[in-house]
Amino acid sequence: MTRFVIRRLLLSIPVLLGVVTLVFILARIIPSDPCRAALGEKATDEICNAFNIRYGLDRPLPVQYVAYIGQVLTGDLGTSIRFNRTVADMLVERLPVTIELTIYALLFATVVGIFLGRVSAIRRNSPADTGTMIVANLGVSIPVFVLGLALAYLFAVVLKGSPIALPPSGRLTPGTDVIPLAEAWGLQGLGGFPRATLDFVSNINTFNAILTLNGSLLVDAIRHMILPALALGTIPMAIIARMTRSSLLDVLGLDYIRTARAKGVAERRVVSAHGMRNAVLPVVTVIGLSLGGLLSGAVLTETIFNLTGIGKSIVEAISGRDYIVIQGLVLVVAIIYVVVNLVVDVSYAILDPRIRLQ
Amino acid sequence: MTAAINPSPGLVPDALAGQKPGSLRRDTLRNVLRQRSAIIGLAFLGFLVGVAFLAPVIATHDPNVPMIGLEQGIKVRMAPCIHLLGCPATQPEHLMGLDGNGRDVFSRVVFGAQVSLRIGILTVGFAIILGTLIGAIAGFFGGKIDNVLMRLMDVLLAFPSLLLAISIVTVLGQSLINAQLAIGIVAIPVFARVMRASVLSVREQEFVTASRALGESQAGILMRRVMPNALTPLIVQGTLGIAGAIIDVAALSFLGMGAQPPLAEWGSMIGIERNAVFAAPHLIIFPGLAIVVTCLAFNLLGDGLRDALDPRLNR
Repeated sequence: MTRFVIRRLLLSIPVLLGVVTLVFILARIIPSDPCRAALGEKATDEICNAFNIRYGLDRPLPVQYVAYIGQVLTGDLGTSIRFNRTVADMLVERLPVTIELTIYALLFATVVGIFLGRVSAIRRNSPADTGTMIVANLGVSIPVFVLGLALAYLFAVVLKGSPIALPPSGRLTPGTDVIPLAEAWGLQGLGGFPRATLDFVSNINTFNAILTLNGSLLVDAIRHMILPALALGTIPMAIIARMTRSSLLDVLGLDYIRTARAKGVAERRVVSAHGMRNAVLPVVTVIGLSLGGLLSGAVLTETIFNLTGIGKSIVEAISGRDYIVIQGLVLVVAIIYVVVNLVVDVSYAILDPRIRLQ
Repeated sequence: MTAAINPSPGLVPDALAGQKPGSLRRDTLRNVLRQRSAIIGLAFLGFLVGVAFLAPVIATHDPNVPMIGLEQGIKVRMAPCIHLLGCPATQPEHLMGLDGNGRDVFSRVVFGAQVSLRIGILTVGFAIILGTLIGAIAGFFGGKIDNVLMRLMDVLLAFPSLLLAISIVTVLGQSLINAQLAIGIVAIPVFARVMRASVLSVREQEFVTASRALGESQAGILMRRVMPNALTPLIVQGTLGIAGAIIDVAALSFLGMGAQPPLAEWGSMIGIERNAVFAAPHLIIFPGLAIVVTCLAFNLLGDGLRDALDPRLNR
């Protein structure tokens, strides 16, 4: 097992290096001069020269590349040209939004997807099965931005005033106070990486609410996350439902299931303990793969529901030609994606001993 | 071919005796038509292709001309007005209402079918051609070439697809062609992987060894022997890929990075009017439904093809 993990870790190194290189290349060949894009009409030749020297843009590309790799390895993602803030600061503030959104979406997708797929497989060819598969087929065909806007309209306009009305924008109701964990726990003196980590966790509203036992904050945070999570999670939910169904159907047709039934194991236990244990393998892969889709979809979901997370920040940085922010954020997202895939592979190996031996 | 097979009685079970042996292509077609999802998908697709071709006939108005000033009693973002459903006859009929520029939404949705089908097919066509080539070369030649090409594909796959596409569009400039190119590039690794896996399994088969023994060139074996036999998974992936490409290009257009106004592209129609969703939901619902139906058609067809072409999945 350890050997498998180490080999898999080593295999991700060239991919990560490729990712860093591609991000560097993309950021450098963006047309238009970053100086003029950042400073607009104020940009004279003189100012731009100083600007280029300050950001190292006057040096030859290979030199910039080596310097960039060095920066990335030391965890320095640079400073935004437009906002004069470090990318790391922006990450501490905005990545939690994306993570919170992704967690809720993945939770919805996994729980509902596996449940629907399971019902569908057990009651094969019943109306429940047909209905589920219609939902699943519609689910993979509806774009995040269409579903998002439709949900916003339904829950904020049509159902306005009803108990199930939901807010269509933002993370919290305006005026809701969030006390940073550092403050709540009297740790204002903390600095450096531990403080950044604490602030990071603190910015995930759900965690903050739970850790500070703030019930109203928890409810408000969850209410604001329901619509975005539904919009973002529907495609993976549909994929997971289909995968669970076909995988469980495959497994339920195997001999050992017949043996289990023949020796009198209760049907519920046959499906849960014998069937699902083996059927869940491909589902785990699909869940892992869908994370890429979730991170892509976050760009759209955050734009629609006005959540200032990484996705929305990247779109804003692109329109502002803030290439240091683009390069930093895209890199972080790609690294998260590579790491998640690594975790999926390893969990796959834990669930299925045969993988390790290959 | 058919004349050669003339089973004598007794050798073949009675149930099969009367049947003519079908060609592979006909069998495949029959299998496809036996899939419910494939039929529904084909029906939807036929409808869409019809709409796309007949758009100038079906559309009630010019999709790009604002109606303000041309007709009386209308205003921008006017809700749908259908006389049969009780809309007063004094008001001009607009089946899906008007958009923020006072253009007829129905006509724009109809013409959008042309745009989206073209987007889907061109984008996936581009990705298939390059992906197939890369996958086939990697799988067939193996070794270093395989390693280099597939690691490159891994790097492309290491990015969430839309994010990479957005970055590429930023570099190339915001236009529909560039959005298609970006989505196409992002889709290459999927096809390359499918093709490579397929080629790897076909390459070891005996008829390939036979061709090699007969002295056929490497390129000839790859193009004439391996490729045709490795295409099946690609057809399925390609059909499903069209749905994905339409959604992704629409997403880029939604963000303002793809189709530019005034082109009647569904994603950009929604993107431009997204802030009006609470006051004029019809501007989101109709183009949105059009995207859903189109993607559903390709997804159902792709599923049906997969079930028909892969006998292991038949149940």
